[in-house]
Amino acid sequence: MSQLLELRNLGVTYSTGGEAVQAVRGVNLALAPGETLGIAGESGSGKSTVALSVLRLLPRSANVTGEILLDGEDVTTMRWGRLRAVRWSSASVVFQGAMHALNPVRRVGEQIAEPIRLHTDLPEPKVRARVTELLEQVDLPSEKARSYPHELSGGQKQRVMIAMALACEPRLILADEPTTALDVIVQAQVLALLGELVAERGIGLVLITHDLSVLAATCRRIAVMYRGEVVEEGPGDEVMARPRHEHTRALAAAFPTVGDPASRFAPATANPLPPEPDRATPDEETPGLLAARDLRVTFRDRRGEAVHAVAGVDLDVRRDEIVALVGQSGSGKTTLARTLLGLQRPTAGSVLYDGRLVPTSSAGLKEYRRQVQLVLQDPASALNPRHTVYEAVAEGPRIHGLTGDERSLVLEALAAAELRPAETYLSRLPHELSGGQRQRVVIAGALALRPSVLVADEPVASLDASVRGEILGLLLRLRRELGLAALVITHDLGLAWNIADRVAVMYRGELVEVGPVEQVLLEPRHEYTKSLLAALPTGTARASERGV
Amino acid sequence: MTTSTTGGPPAADLDERRAGTSTSRFVAGKVGGALASLVFVVVLGFLLFRMIPGDPVATMTRDRPTSPEQLARLRERLGVDEPLWRQFLDYALGLLRGDLGTSYLYNRPVATMIGERLWPTILLVGTATVLAVALGMWLGVRAAWKRDSTFDRVHTGVALTLWSVPQFWLGLLLLIATQGLFPSRGMRSPDLPEGFLAETLDVAWHLTLPCLTLLAVIYAQYMLVMRSSLLEEMGSEYLTTARAKGLRDDLVRRRHAVPNALLPAVTLVFLQFGMVVSGTVTVEAVFSWPGLGLLTYDALRGPDLPLLQGVFVVLAGSVIVMNLLAELLYRVLDPRVRAA
Repeated sequence: MSQLLELRNLGVTYSTGGEAVQAVRGVNLALAPGETLGIAGESGSGKSTVALSVLRLLPRSANVTGEILLDGEDVTTMRWGRLRAVRWSSASVVFQGAMHALNPVRRVGEQIAEPIRLHTDLPEPKVRARVTELLEQVDLPSEKARSYPHELSGGQKQRVMIAMALACEPRLILADEPTTALDVIVQAQVLALLGELVAERGIGLVLITHDLSVLAATCRRIAVMYRGEVVEEGPGDEVMARPRHEHTRALAAAFPTVGDPASRFAPATANPLPPEPDRATPDEETPGLLAARDLRVTFRDRRGEAVHAVAGVDLDVRRDEIVALVGQSGSGKTTLARTLLGLQRPTAGSVLYDGRLVPTSSAGLKEYRRQVQLVLQDPASALNPRHTVYEAVAEGPRIHGLTGDERSLVLEALAAAELRPAETYLSRLPHELSGGQRQRVVIAGALALRPSVLVADEPVASLDASVRGEILGLLLRLRRELGLAALVITHDLGLAWNIADRVAVMYRGELVEVGPVEQVLLEPRHEYTKSLLAALPTGTARASERGV
Repeated sequence: MTTSTTGGPPAADLDERRAGTSTSRFVAGKVGGALASLVFVVVLGFLLFRMIPGDPVATMTRDRPTSPEQLARLRERLGVDEPLWRQFLDYALGLLRGDLGTSYLYNRPVATMIGERLWPTILLVGTATVLAVALGMWLGVRAAWKRDSTFDRVHTGVALTLWSVPQFWLGLLLLIATQGLFPSRGMRSPDLPEGFLAETLDVAWHLTLPCLTLLAVIYAQYMLVMRSSLLEEMGSEYLTTARAKGLRDDLVRRRHAVPNALLPAVTLVFLQFGMVVSGTVTVEAVFSWPGLGLLTYDALRGPDLPLLQGVFVVLAGSVIVMNLLAELLYRVLDPRVRAA
C-alpha cells in the first residue's frame, strides 16, 4: 500500500542571529492510511517542528532539508498556491485547542466554516449544515456553533478543534499535544474520539505528545524523539514493553502506572533516595500539623448565585507525610489550598495549625505563612524575571526579618533544593535556567524560611518528563530527610502513587475519599475515584515491571 | 443581549464555563459611574477656579475709574461676596437648568458662548482624529507586519519625534515653512464670497494648518498602540491555525490578526478624543481658531470664573462621556469582556 505521509531524511535548522540550531536531524517516518503514528518527546525534542514542517508552517527562520511526501507529492517543493490548496484539505492539524489555537473573538462555528468556504464552493446553507454535522460528530450540540471560545470548557474547545480539522475531510490529521492541559476524564474522551475517527474513516493520524502513556493507549506505532532525532521507532506494544533507548525508558518511567509496586515511592530520579526513616505509623486519630475542620468557601457569581467551591472539608496534613489532593479542574482543589494558606477567607469552618486556629490578623498571618509555604505550578511566571536567583530566594527571609547571615541562608536553601554548587546560581536570572532549575529555585525560596509544611499546586504539571521525576524525588527526599510535610495538589494520580502517603480525592467541593494511597487507588470505594482511575491511559505497566 | 451557557445539563460537562453579567446591569453600572464622576467634576471645577489668584472685579474695572460703591454693587451683582456654599448652590441649581452663568468679561450667557465655540473645535478635533486614526493604524499595521524593517524603524522614529514636539512650536514652524500659503488666523475670511461650496472651501483652507499640526502630534499614539497590539497578536497560535487552513498571508492578517489587534486601539481612540479636545488650547491659540481652546485661553486671562467653570465642565464631561462610550463599545466588540 502506498504511504500517506513519508518523511525522508528530514532536517530542520533554525537560524537566529547568525547562529544555526539544528532542531530536527535525519528523521525518516512513514504512515499508511488508517494508521496511527505516535511521536513522543520532551519540549525541544523537535516533535512539534516535525508536525509543523509537514504543512510548511514553520517560521521563516527555519530551513528544511530532505523530502516530505504527502500522498507522494513533495511538500517542500510545492508552489504557494498548491500548498495553500493542500493545507487543511489534504492534511489538517489539531493544535492544543484548549489553550490559544482558536481565535478568541470569533464564534467557533465561523472558525469551523472558514476552511470549508475557502476550499469548497458549497453554498452558504450547506456550509452551515456541514458545521452542524461536524459538531455532532464530536458530540457537541449544534448551538455551540454560536459560542465564543472562552464560553467553552477545555474539552469542548478541543472538540471544536477536532471538528475544525475534519471540516474538509482530510486524509491526514496531525494532532500536536491534543490532550495536554485536559483532565484525565476529558483526555480519555478526546482520545477515544480521535481513535474512532481514524477507525471509521481510514484517516491517517499522527499523534504528538510528551506523555508516552497517551500514545501507548492509542497508537499502533510509536517513534520517540530526543534532541532532534528519532531514537527509537517500532510497534507500540514493543516500544512500551522493551524500550531499547535510555530516553524511552526515562519517558516511560516518568508516567508511572498506578498499582505498580516498582514505582511506589520511587519517582524517576537520578539521585539516590535516602532510606525511609522510622516513622510512627500514621494514626487516623493524630491531629494534623495543618488541618481543616468543616471548611467552607462560598463565592457569589455575578448573578448572585452561590457557588460552593469548598463545601465542608475535613483534612489533616501530619508531620512527616505527603498528602496528595487530587481532582479535576473546577473541583475546588486550588480554592482549598488558598484557604489553607490564609489567602482566601473561609465562609465557615476553621483552619488549624499545630492545633491552634490560624490567625486572621495580618501580623499573625505573616508568622503563619513562614511555617506554611506555597510552591506554584508554573515556575516561569512564579519568578520575577528581573530578580536574580539570590534575590528570589532571599526575599522571604528579608520579609520575615530572619536573623543570621543572609548569604549563607540562601546558599543553604539552594543546596537543599539540590542546586549544586549553589554559588554558581546566585547571580543568574530565571531565563538562564531550565524549567526544572526554575522550579528548584521556587522550592529553595520556600525552604529558605525553614517551613514545616509545603503546599505545592501542580508542582510538575508544566515540566518535562525527565525533570518531573527529579522534582518529585526532591519533595520525597525533603520529607525523608527534614520531615517536611507537604500537601501536593494535582490532577495526576501517578504523581500520588509516586510520592504521596495519603491521598484525598476532591469532587465538587467535597472530599469524597481520603485514605492511604494504596487503599484509595487500588480499592477505590467512591464512584468518582473509580471513574478517575478508569480514565487513566494504561500501557506503561510493562515498561516499569522490568524495574526501570 | 444576554450571554448564557447553552445546552447540555451541567452534569454532562463538569468544567462548563459560567456566563457573565447581564447587559442591563453592566450598562446601568457604567452609566452610574459616569454620573458620579460628573458630579465630582462639577464640585472640583467650582472649587478649583476659586483658588486662582486674582480678583475678577478688579480685572473687570481695571481700565476705568470706579468708586467703592460701584465696586460693591458689582460684587453683589456677581455674587462673589456671598458665602461659598451659597455660591455653589446657585451654581449647581443653574447647572441643572442648563444655565452655566454669565461671563464676567463678555457679559453673555456662558452656555451660548460655549455653544458657538463647540462646533469649530469639534470640526478641528474630529478631522484631525479621523485622519490620525486612519494614518496611525495603517502605519502601525504595516510596521508590525514587517517588524524591524526600514519602514518600521523610520516610521516609529518619525512618529515618536513628532509626538514629543510641543504643539505651538510645530504650529509656528508650519506657518513659517508654508510662507503664507495658508491663512495664519481664524476660521473664515472676512471678505467671504457667497455660496455653500465657497464657504466650505474657505473653512477647509483655514483648517489645513491647525489640523495638520494636531494630526502630526497625535497620530503617533495610534500607530504605536496598533503596532504593539498587532505584534502581540502575531505571536498567537490561532494565526498558525489560520495559516494551516490554507488562508493567504494577507487574509490571515486582515481576517484574524488585525481585527483582534484593533480592539485595544478602538478604546484608545475614544479615550483620547476627550484628551485631544482639551489639548487644543495651544493649537487654537496659535492659529486663533475660534474654538473652546481659544475660549479657555481668553477666560484664563480674566479670570472669568463662570466661563472657566463652564468650559471645564464641558471638557471634563466630554472625556467622561467618551470613556463611557469606549467601555460600552468594547463590550459590543469583544465577546470576552461580556463574560468577564
